Amino acid sequence: MPRRFLTSEDVRAAKSREILVDPETLVTPQALEAAKAAGVAIKSAAGGAYVEPAPDRGPDAAKAKAALSAMPEPEPDLGGATGVVVAVVGKNRPGILMEITGVLGAHGASVLDISQSVMGEYFQLTMAVQLPQGRPFGELKAKLQCLGGPEDYVVRVMHERVFRFMHRV
Amino acid sequence: MTFSSREILETVRMFELETLDIRTTTLGVNLLDCADPDLESTCEKVYAKIVHHGQNLVSVANSIRDEFGVPIVNKRIAVTPISLVAAASGATDLVPLARALDAAAKAIGIDFIGGFTAYVHKGFTRSDQALFDSIPRALDETVHVCSSVSLASTRAGINMDAVSRFAEVVLETARRTADRGGLGCAKLVCFCNTVEDNPFVAGAHIGIGEPETVLNVGVSGPGVVRSALARLGPNPDLLAVAETIKRTAFKITRMGELVGREAARRLGTSFGIVDISLAPTPADGDSVSDILELIGVDRTGAPGTTAALALLTDAVKKGGAMASSSVGGLSGAFIPVSEDSGMIAAVRDGALSLPKLEAMTAVCSVGLDMVAVPGDTPADVIAGIIADEMAIGMINSKTTAVRICPIPGLSAGQTVDWGGLLGTAIVQDPGRFGCRVLHRRGGRVPAPLQGYKN
Repeated sequence: MPRRFLTSEDVRAAKSREILVDPETLVTPQALEAAKAAGVAIKSAAGGAYVEPAPDRGPDAAKAKAALSAMPEPEPDLGGATGVVVAVVGKNRPGILMEITGVLGAHGASVLDISQSVMGEYFQLTMAVQLPQGRPFGELKAKLQCLGGPEDYVVRVMHERVFRFMHRV
Repeated sequence: MTFSSREILETVRMFELETLDIRTTTLGVNLLDCADPDLESTCEKVYAKIVHHGQNLVSVANSIRDEFGVPIVNKRIAVTPISLVAAASGATDLVPLARALDAAAKAIGIDFIGGFTAYVHKGFTRSDQALFDSIPRALDETVHVCSSVSLASTRAGINMDAVSRFAEVVLETARRTADRGGLGCAKLVCFCNTVEDNPFVAGAHIGIGEPETVLNVGVSGPGVVRSALARLGPNPDLLAVAETIKRTAFKITRMGELVGREAARRLGTSFGIVDISLAPTPADGDSVSDILELIGVDRTGAPGTTAALALLTDAVKKGGAMASSSVGGLSGAFIPVSEDSGMIAAVRDGALSLPKLEAMTAVCSVGLDMVAVPGDTPADVIAGIIADEMAIGMINSKTTAVRICPIPGLSAGQTVDWGGLLGTAIVQDPGRFGCRVLHRRGGRVPAPLQGYKN
């Protein structure tokens, strides 16, 4: 079994000017400092200078990865596209829908479903939107949430998976 | 992908108006391979391993928050009980390990790190003893570290020697942190039937049966249940109340399941559990007490409160059990007094006494939580309160805990304001009588018949 850690004590106990570590070995920050102070080089047994390995999450992690992707969940019906739900609430005025759909259009998103109701001077609007594969969700969300304002309207953008998990079995 | 506008607005309302959040994503990191005959080397390994595994936790949690729009309030690390990790060193002062945990927590930007822990429900090892002795200084000198101990179980009975020693540790921790209103005790808890995948502080740690790393999630959401019951109104019967809570708990838990799966996938680790305890905060409306009053008691603590809490805890578990296959052991409802504005008001109005709280803990998801008592409360009284709570857990095969805060310099009725999530505590009166002889006897309360299952 490869050495799990290299500590400053290991560096101090080393007899040579060079310490070879396994690719899995984690060198503590104190060991790196001690090696630097003592002029000892820490090198990977695989060749080259020591680089921090990727975290080894343990023997269960690989199985967990497969198991997580195989866990049943309410089925999406969008192919590879990203589903986005947009909810807008605020004071009604002409042009709001155009502002929202303008941003959606600029991101190549298409509206699958739309519902709007007006109560006095206020309105609520909900939309189910499809964002083509490869178009970043975060960017669309940031742009949409910049619209409106405190005295105007508020846009809330969420991933459709939230709604699928919450409202579908 | 067709959702009705009612469904969409219901979800948005939960997040925007009803303070629904994921209370914590807690990454468990096993530290057994950090054991070393030299304590300093153990500290180095502990720090290095936690930072190594936890450095992406905050960014992953934040990316999920941004993408799914689900607030994730706390990012935490839970580690193997430190008394096990330190044993090989033979050290009697384990404060350096607490400092290493604290430094690691600071380095990766998390809120709390749990696991300054020992299991002593049957007896002490030298290392357990060292950990107990180190707790007051550890909690005084660190910011992020939380400490927990297992004092009893249905299988082992109650270790009364450990209960008595723990009472002294609580008082010493309060004294050491007197300048901060005894705040150290808010990071210190004892358990009966401890839960080894607990994502919540102060009891977060990962037990010896847990994997190398594991992601656990704790969901909150009293505000959502409260609003659902407010909409239901006072006329429908208790079956309708239970059904409403169950449906709401299902929806809340599904958020935990989604976040847990996604966080585990992004971190490349196993998904452990989603703990679905309604965990209140001092924020308006985010109160378990308000739920109990909506179910139908005049004030929390009035006759009927235990029954209402039993209904609530059970309905939350049932709703959650359908929503996730990995429901955690603390699921139900927490009743931390200082952290719940309704509970604080109930104490202030004389509705909620310490004995009534104890009765409620027989049916809540954990136990006596964030209870303040006078700073001069004798050790035997603290030990008696803890022993009573351990007995409730032991006999009922349930997890119970005590997080009790003797507030130096304050007497019953006075108030201490810790701020933030810890809230405001009103010092409660533990009564005039103690249990000196019971305390002095020590020894062990043997395991009950319920423990002899096989």
